[in-house]
Order: sequence, then structure tokens, then C-alpha cells
Amino acid sequence: MMANEILQSVSTGKRFKLDPRTKMLMVITISTVIIGGGNGGLMNIAKPLLAAVPLLMLITSRRSRAAIAYTAIYILCFAGERLLVPITSGFLNFLIVACCGMLTRFLPGIMMGYFLVTTTTVSEFTAAMERMHMPRQITIPLSVMFRFFPTVGEEMAAINDAMKMRGITFANPMRMLEYRLVPMLMCSVKIGEELSAAALTRGLGAPVKRTNICEVGFHIQDMFAILICIFGFAAFFSSRIIS
Amino acid sequence: MIELRQVSFRYEQARQENGLRDVNLTIGDGEVILLCGESGCGKTTLTRLVNGLIPHFWGGDLNGEVLIDGVKINEMPLYETAKIVGSVFQNPRSQFFNVDTDSEIAFGCENQGLPEEEIRKRVETNVKQYSLEPLMGRSIFELSGGEKQKIACASVSACDPDILVLDEPTANLDARATAALRRMLLLWKAQGKTIIIAEHRLYFLRDIADRIVYMNQGRIETVFTHENFISLGAEKLENMGLRPLSLNELQCHIKQPVQTNENLVFSDFRFSYKNGKPVLDIDKLNISEGASVAVIGHNGAGKSTFARCLCGLERKCGGKLLGQANVKGRKQRLKCCFMVMQDVNHQLFTESVLDEVLLSMEEENEEQAEEILKGLDLQELKEQHPMALSGGQKQRVAIASAIASKREIILFDEPTSGLDLRHMREVAANLWQLNAMGKTVFVVTHDPEFILSCCTYVVHMEQGYVIAQYPLDTNGTARMLSFFQDTADKPADLEGMVMM
Repeated sequence: MMANEILQSVSTGKRFKLDPRTKMLMVITISTVIIGGGNGGLMNIAKPLLAAVPLLMLITSRRSRAAIAYTAIYILCFAGERLLVPITSGFLNFLIVACCGMLTRFLPGIMMGYFLVTTTTVSEFTAAMERMHMPRQITIPLSVMFRFFPTVGEEMAAINDAMKMRGITFANPMRMLEYRLVPMLMCSVKIGEELSAAALTRGLGAPVKRTNICEVGFHIQDMFAILICIFGFAAFFSSRIIS
Repeated sequence: MIELRQVSFRYEQARQENGLRDVNLTIGDGEVILLCGESGCGKTTLTRLVNGLIPHFWGGDLNGEVLIDGVKINEMPLYETAKIVGSVFQNPRSQFFNVDTDSEIAFGCENQGLPEEEIRKRVETNVKQYSLEPLMGRSIFELSGGEKQKIACASVSACDPDILVLDEPTANLDARATAALRRMLLLWKAQGKTIIIAEHRLYFLRDIADRIVYMNQGRIETVFTHENFISLGAEKLENMGLRPLSLNELQCHIKQPVQTNENLVFSDFRFSYKNGKPVLDIDKLNISEGASVAVIGHNGAGKSTFARCLCGLERKCGGKLLGQANVKGRKQRLKCCFMVMQDVNHQLFTESVLDEVLLSMEEENEEQAEEILKGLDLQELKEQHPMALSGGQKQRVAIASAIASKREIILFDEPTSGLDLRHMREVAANLWQLNAMGKTVFVVTHDPEFILSCCTYVVHMEQGYVIAQYPLDTNGTARMLSFFQDTADKPADLEGMVMM
């Protein structure tokens, strides 16, 4: 049973590494500009450029399947929007506009988010947060969450198996939900308790400046990425001002 | 030096764990103390006093004094205690803060705010010392229980504490991983660390422990020296409710299997992971119906996968189960097999014990349900919430629902991990009872003592194949025991490489 991990568990090596902060900035830029941006002017360059960034990231992190899927879906929707919308009408037209429009706008942001969470380890994340002087009250619960959810996912899988074995199916959805929740809650509470106890015996929460041996920092590739982001925002605002 | 003076403790909430009463104990530097006794005797509570989780995490009434080198531990904040006391816990799943092995080993040092260079050096030394190289850069979620426990030990030792507290560290480990843990303990002992270890499995500690503290109902009953304890003999130990000190002392009673002429044939049970690595490959396996089968083998041998495939839980594993009259595919097996899981909490859903049994019946029949509960000694608990019961009782509720659903084949996945002698015997009795009802029982287990008390047949798996199968007669018993003996004595260093 493999757990679906939230944050990448294993560092992806030194091949091509972006600072977690750069990745976060890129998620924000891509979603803001592509979802909220208008058309015309610089935006005609900025939008495709930003949409290509997640693809590039997926390729560099060797997630070829995700990269192919992303490209295929994006091209299909883009073509649909350009070619099918003018020649259809009525409900079908509405459906194509809704589907393709949504996907072309949301997909790049989602893929970038996927890249962020699958290529950042928990300690990289905490290190980046600390560099940004985020208060501990925010970083510690966040990092615990990253650890907690996959564990709960493992528990969920086991409960699912047990339900299958008992022959409890979707025939009665309310019962199904209830039966799932009871063991789920019990296990979560127990795991949460044990996790906290373990973390405390390892000195989490000491009033000293915590070291982090994880290397985070800006490099050339980060500069590049940030430049793209600046360009994206510039295009975004200029198109706003013009309109 | 650790001193406990007139310590009494009662948990705040009415927990299942009992507190402590009038505990006096002085532990010298570099001593190895083994805490033993039945479940609920206060072993775990005592470990929590030493690592400061009592009273800082588990609240309650604490009287008396716990001193480490003259400092009262209850007046020391937990992060200070963390520098001198390292803790390893029972459940390998829930003691990691990070998701990757490298960060986990550095975690404790990072919390102390040690300089980066120093931390890197310590991580490196620890990795070398415990030969953890194959485990580095890996995700916690893909490690086996034994591997996780190794990482837990290394990450505790990276902080270089003088005192190490281990609370049933082998509860979820097989013989090989236990042997690896033993090597770590020896290393720590040689380094002059003080070790306090609470355990049910005693055989791997017999020559490590300096003093043995036997506890009963929250009190320290007797403190044995190593020599005294060794000379106690099997019978005395058994009367004290303790597991034997060596596998040779296990008593063998050969059980007569229920005689049937019917055979169950498992055919074409195959399963492999996405990456193509096969984990199960059984062409044909014959088991006589009504047998009680122990499935043994090292971690990663495919035992659990076999159990899951047999139950029909793995979609990708077809396979056929040929019975006397019919052939059962995956979907049918889902209806005729029942697995009592290692963590029974996952399979109890309802609000009362009686409901749990009724839920499993095709047609709810309260009379019959009561009958089943009576047979398993659960009648008085029928109105209770399953989650409020003890571990053994929960397991019996799961068995009751298996009986109620009229399943023919019942599987147990490591039912005795972390159980003391008395509870292990109880499970064995339940299993024997199922057998007497004509059910075929499969048990995936690492517990030779348990096998001897209730199984009639052994299936030995290795790397996805069944490499041997034999009845548990005089020869078979010797053969089974020698498998466990070999792994305990000569642990292969492959352990680090075995996945899942």
C-alpha cells in the first residue's frame, strides 16, 4: 500500500532545484494571471508563456506522464475554445465554453501547485517558511499537517478494506459514512496523540533558534523564474490599465 | 543516575492503562533495565515518567519524585529532558515527524539548535554506525516496520542522549528486525548508555539486561539480577505471565487437526506492484479443509499480500480457490473469507458489540447473535461501545462478526504482535475454537510460541513463493522452530534491503 503523499518525501536531487519560495510565487503568478487576466497586448505573450512553465517544470522533474497529460488536455481545450466555439450553438456551445474555458484557465495553476507539493520536502518547506520569518505558530501546524494527512490516508485504506470484507457498500450512503467516520476518528486521535508525544520527546518547541540543515536559497534558475513572474504581472496590470 | 522515590501516579482520564503505586527504583549510569510484566502492569507508565511525558503530556495525580542526576524531571521542561533522554515507541507508524529519512535523523538535533556542521557530522556517523545507507533518501511510507524502527533508533541516538527509553519496540517486528534492534542495543550498551526497555519478548534481551524489574498491577513486584532471572526456569516465568527466555524452552503440544478429506486448492495466485516487481507467485497450493495454517516467512516474503489476495481485497489478483464443489473467484472470496486485521480498530464500525454482530448477519437474528457472543465470552459487554473495549476484547468482537457472517475461511494478520503470555493464550484459544467449528484458519505470524499453541500446519513463504509446507508433527515442529531460531541467531544483513 503506497500512501498518497502530500509533500514530496524524497529530495529530488541537485539536477534542477528551485527554492520553495520561488515555486510558491510561481503558483500565485500563474493562477492570478491566467485565471484573472484579460486578452490583448502583452497578455498574448504572457499567457502561453506562463502556461508553458508548468510543462517545463514537469519535464525537469521527470514527471513525464503528468507532462504528457497536461499538454494533451491543454491543447485539446485550447483548440476547442478557438475552433469549436464559433461553429456550435445552444447547449453544446455552452458546454464547450464552460469545460474548455475552465480547464485552460485552471489547469496551469493546478499543475504548478502539483509540482510545488510533489517536489518540496517537509524540511525544505519549513526552512523556506523560516527564511520568510513566518511565525512558528503557523509553520509547525502546517508541517504536522503534511505528515498527518498521508498517515490518515493509510488508515482510510485499511478501513476501506474492512468495509469491503464486511460487504458494506454504497447501498446505504448515510450508514456508509457513519461507519467510516467512527474508526477514522478514533485512529486519527490516537495517531495525533502519538505523533505529538514523539515530537515532544525529540525536543520540538524548545525556545532556541531551530537549525535547519536543508539547503534552500536562490540560484540562477530562481532568478529566471522570478523574471517570468514579474513579466507576467506586468502584462497583467498593463492589460488592466489599458482596458 | 535515575531515582524514583515513592512514586504514585494515576491518569487523569479513566484510561485503560493503570497507574503506578509506591514505586521505588534507582538506576545507575550505564545500566540496562528490562521492565516486564503483563499488559497494564505499569511498564509503559514507568517509561513515561522517565522521559517526562508524565506529567507534561499525560496529566494526572503524581506523587513522589522522579530525579535524573538529582534534577526533578517534572520541573524540567520537555525540551530540556529531550537532550538527556531519548525515546523509541511501540508504533513505528506514528513516531516520525518528517516524511523523509534524512530529515528525520536530523530532526532532534535541529530542534536543539545545534550548528549545521555538527548535525551533518552526527547524521553521517549514525548512518555509518547502524549501516543505514540503503535507507537514506527514502520516504518513510515505503519502509517496513523494522526499517522504520531502525530509523527511529538512529534519530534518537543522533541527539546523543545519556538515557534511552524504549517502550515495546519490537511489538510490530519480525525475528530478523528484532535481531537488528538487539545489535543496536548492544552498541548502546557498549557506549555506556543507560537503557530502560519495556518488553514482552524477552529472548532477545536475555544477555543484555543487567537487572529485570517485574511489575504487577502498578507495583514493582521483584527486581531480579541477570543471574537470578536466567535461573528462574520456564515454569516460574510462565506462572509470572512472562514469555520464555529462549526459543528452546518453548513447550510443544502437538495438536491433532480436525480430520477432513476435503482439500482447498489455491490456484494461480499472483500479484505484482506497478513497477512490475512480483510479490506473490503461487501456482498451486493444497491445504486440507479445517486446518489451522500458520503462514511464516521473513518480512517482505509476501505473507500479508497472500492474505489480502485470499480475501479478495486485491483487485489485480484473480486466482481461484477450488473447494469441494465450487470454484471461487475474487468476488466470491470476498464473501467467504474474513480477515481479523492487525489493527482491529479499523474494522469495528457500530455503536455496540451486539450491533456489530448483527451487522454481519445476512438476516438479523438477535438470539443467534447472543449465542455467538456467549461463545466468545462477550455476552456481558454486548451493550458496550466496541471502541471502549480492551484490545483482546475488540479482537473477539471481530471474530464474532466473522462467525456471524458464516465465513468459511478466517485469516488473522499478526494477531499476537505485542501481546503478553496470557493474552496470547487467549487468542490461541479463540482460534482453536474457530477450528473446532470446522473453519479453516490462516494466521500470518512471527510468533513461534503462538504457532505451537494453536496451529496444525505451516506454509513457509519466501520472496512471493511458497518454499515449504508441512504439518506440525514432531518433525514439522522442529523444522518450524529452526526457522525462527536461525533468523534470531544469524540475522542476515539483508534486512535493510527488504522492502515492504
